[in-house]
Amino acid sequence: MATPTPTPVDQKKRASFEQEALVHLDALYRVALRLTGNAADADDLVQETMLKAYRAWDQYEKGTNAKGWLLTILRNSFINEYRRRTRHPETVDVDTIEPFAVFGEVQEDDPQGAFFDQIVDDEVLKAIDELPVAFRETLVLSDVEGMSYQEIGKILGVPVGTVKSRLFRARQALQGKLYGYAVSMGYIKGSPA
Amino acid sequence: MNCRECEEHLYEFLDKELTPETERQIRGHLADCEPCGEHFDFEGMFLRFLRARCRAQGAPQELKRRLLHDLFGE
Repeated sequence: MATPTPTPVDQKKRASFEQEALVHLDALYRVALRLTGNAADADDLVQETMLKAYRAWDQYEKGTNAKGWLLTILRNSFINEYRRRTRHPETVDVDTIEPFAVFGEVQEDDPQGAFFDQIVDDEVLKAIDELPVAFRETLVLSDVEGMSYQEIGKILGVPVGTVKSRLFRARQALQGKLYGYAVSMGYIKGSPA
Repeated sequence: MNCRECEEHLYEFLDKELTPETERQIRGHLADCEPCGEHFDFEGMFLRFLRARCRAQGAPQELKRRLLHDLFGE
């Protein structure tokens, strides 16, 4: 069939795809943006993900976890086709990065972390984009998209224990960066991380 | 539960990944231990701050339009 004309079946497929898949477009775009680091590549990645998802829609068990299913496709597409092209291969071993305990630094002067309020969206996104990809993807799936450890493990193909330790390190690393930025801006006294 | 054990479960607690029993033990410790309570509050605040700073971006209209065209020929 070269040019498919809409049939009742197509309409049904379309309706369920709109209802279960397209509603996650914003989430896919946010994750794509953090993975690729730029809007043009994020556009392409989301586009490719949605087209793949639509072609494979019969394999998705309706009413289960569409967001997780779509994010798995997106992440695999990113790994296969975008990673090498959009970012330099990472040589840093994420498991050796030392966590920096920000709370220990600020608990005397600002135990409620009020200094964070002065840090604008763009600075936070920039700091996330500087994290190694293994941290970045784990942190975004958890802290931005609210996925469970199990869902994240499934999307990334790693055990729950790995999700847990990466999340811990990613959050500590990000806090350290943002604290360093806040100190450099004079939002809080202290020595930069 | 002591402070060290409590800290070990910090993020699992905030991410609601613990069993009700462990969660109950942690709540018990936090109620009695001010330093741990402050630390948990700080980390919880940080996670809420992160989410608030990162949720503003959505897919551009142009991407939505292109997708509908490619998927359904519109």
